[in-house]
Amino acid sequence: MAAKPPAIVLRILDAHRRYADAAALDGVNLDVAAGEIYALIGRNGAGKSTLAKAAIGALALQSGTVRVLGGDPARDRAIAGLIGVAPQEIALYGHLTVAENLHTFAALAGVRRSRSEAVAAAMAATDCTPRAGTRIDQLSGGWRRRANLAAAIVHRPRLLVLDEPTEGLDSQTRMALRRLILDLKAAGTAILLISHDADDVRALADRVGVLDAGRLVVEGAPADLMAQAFDGRQDLVVRLSAPASAAETILLKRGLGATDDGLVWSGLVAGAPAKATALDQALRDHGVAAAEISVRQPGLDALIAWACSDGAAKSIAAASGAAA
Amino acid sequence: MILVILRVMALGVWRDRAGLFLIFALPPVVFIVFASVFGSGVNGRIDVRAGVVDQTSSVDSRRLTSAVKQSLDGRLTAWPSVAALDDAVASGRLDAGLVIRGDLATTPTPITLVIHPGRRAAGELLGADVDAATAKAMPDLLLRREVLRLKPVLALKAAQIRRVGHAPAIASPAPFVARRELPGADPMVIYYAGAVSILFVMFTAMQGAMSLIEERRAGLRLRLGLSAGGVAPLLLGRMLWLTALGVAQAAGLFVVAAILYHIPLVESLAPWTATAIAAAAASGGIALALAAACPTREQAQTLSTFVVLILAAVGGSMAPRFLMPAPLQALGWLTPHAWVIEAYQTLLWRRILDVGVLQAWAALAAFAAAGFLVALTLESRRRL
Repeated sequence: MAAKPPAIVLRILDAHRRYADAAALDGVNLDVAAGEIYALIGRNGAGKSTLAKAAIGALALQSGTVRVLGGDPARDRAIAGLIGVAPQEIALYGHLTVAENLHTFAALAGVRRSRSEAVAAAMAATDCTPRAGTRIDQLSGGWRRRANLAAAIVHRPRLLVLDEPTEGLDSQTRMALRRLILDLKAAGTAILLISHDADDVRALADRVGVLDAGRLVVEGAPADLMAQAFDGRQDLVVRLSAPASAAETILLKRGLGATDDGLVWSGLVAGAPAKATALDQALRDHGVAAAEISVRQPGLDALIAWACSDGAAKSIAAASGAAA
Repeated sequence: MILVILRVMALGVWRDRAGLFLIFALPPVVFIVFASVFGSGVNGRIDVRAGVVDQTSSVDSRRLTSAVKQSLDGRLTAWPSVAALDDAVASGRLDAGLVIRGDLATTPTPITLVIHPGRRAAGELLGADVDAATAKAMPDLLLRREVLRLKPVLALKAAQIRRVGHAPAIASPAPFVARRELPGADPMVIYYAGAVSILFVMFTAMQGAMSLIEERRAGLRLRLGLSAGGVAPLLLGRMLWLTALGVAQAAGLFVVAAILYHIPLVESLAPWTATAIAAAAASGGIALALAAACPTREQAQTLSTFVVLILAAVGGSMAPRFLMPAPLQALGWLTPHAWVIEAYQTLLWRRILDVGVLQAWAALAAFAAAGFLVALTLESRRRL
């Protein structure tokens, strides 16, 4: 007998929202299931924040529907109470301590009995307990991010919307928060993650959706999308110590493009490690010593650029045709 | 939920000690300044700075100068010439001046008052001071002047004139008018207690209501929007806090007024409390409506400053309403300030609770309800 698929927690159907001169959402369809992390990426102004606000009922759609566990979060207070949100800003009262903030938001979310236990659990989950009595405006950025997340989960939401949860954090804190988010996922929380951080998306997301001009242009598992977009190609980056005309010819011939200052060159190439060694030798042969030659996995910017290009549309259309 | 928001707001003020000090210390200070300027003041006097030029330098003129100086608590200075005195009065270094031009007993008009057209009241006060000081300290001089005036009619001889001039019993008659002062506080002091209190209560409410905009800016509104009770309890909690803070602020000011100027606060405590609650609620409602209507703090700051100042000017918080032209007085009833001032004056000066006070409470309650409903409508419709 096949396992029962996880319940859909967030369902957005044909969401449309226009502002004065542009469509912020243009027919978006999206599902997030219990225990799933869905990462939403896209360029600035693509509609990510608009979609996130629509998902929690804070923004009225001109057409389309948003359902959280079958209810409308904009109209049903009980449904709204099942949602937790950690905005990109530190959405906490600066003059209150961590514990006071959590008590406040637990009370506002309707947690009546065992509020102290809920606060203690949220602080323990985010490792905020040692700073329980410290005012938010006296905390460092990392602790504030943890407290921001703790306030989002203090009422044990079924849907969690996280906007850039690890922005500006050191790697240790970033790892800790990632572990926490994975714990929440394991506990069955549906998570809508908005992030510009490729490492976050790779480490956390089960599925990735790319928004472009209000439309969800590509959606899939991160590894699948990377394979589809880059087909094994990697980002070859060359950093020169000084501009050299001899180097330019060599780099251009190998498909690399320069940044504004002409010192950093990069491009997506197949067989990047071997080509990096060959390129290093070619530059030396022409008397140019590169300061650094590196091979990287393509970043989110490259994925977004691919997703928003005609190539992606053809690729997706071909994949759809093959599946049919 | 209402209490949760009330607590958050209260802790915000409590933990901002500098802000707390300003909220409660500034209004009494401004009130004392207004009461000193517009009321009759603690000692019932208006302090005039005067100068004198004594062109006779006689025994009488020196006695008169000394008496006037004492009456003005020493604020009478001697000047070398009339030109110098005129210049000092014209330039505002002195409020008014005196020139003793002739013998005080024999010259028909021996003293000239130097008055600037912009300070006629100071001249009148100095003239009254000279009259009072002369009557008190130099009754003999006045008698000598009368005797000399009556000499042709009564055919007095020189010896009789000398005797009369040096008879203290005749020179100091019993006063023609006796004074009886009724108990009670100065109406202008009561006026400005009300006027300054509503000015600051509204200003504080505007600042407090800005938290709505701060919450939007900080992303808190997204989180608060998910709260179980929706927008209404969030606003009601704020409204209650702004009302409580306004009552406390007004209480601080009126306690100072009661101590310094004997305003009968304790005797009218219950109706005073009702007025203070209504005034603070009206301020809170208007402030919340403004904050809900403004998308940014900058816009709200500009608009609230404009509104606070206009309401204060038209409503009588800056200058007494009875000095305003009739149309402006009528316009004042569109502000909470006029109702608040009228209610406090009726309660604390006239010492009655009449239909006018009830109307004032109703008007203030209407301001509060209207402001709250506007804020609730705007915030409920707001999508972030």
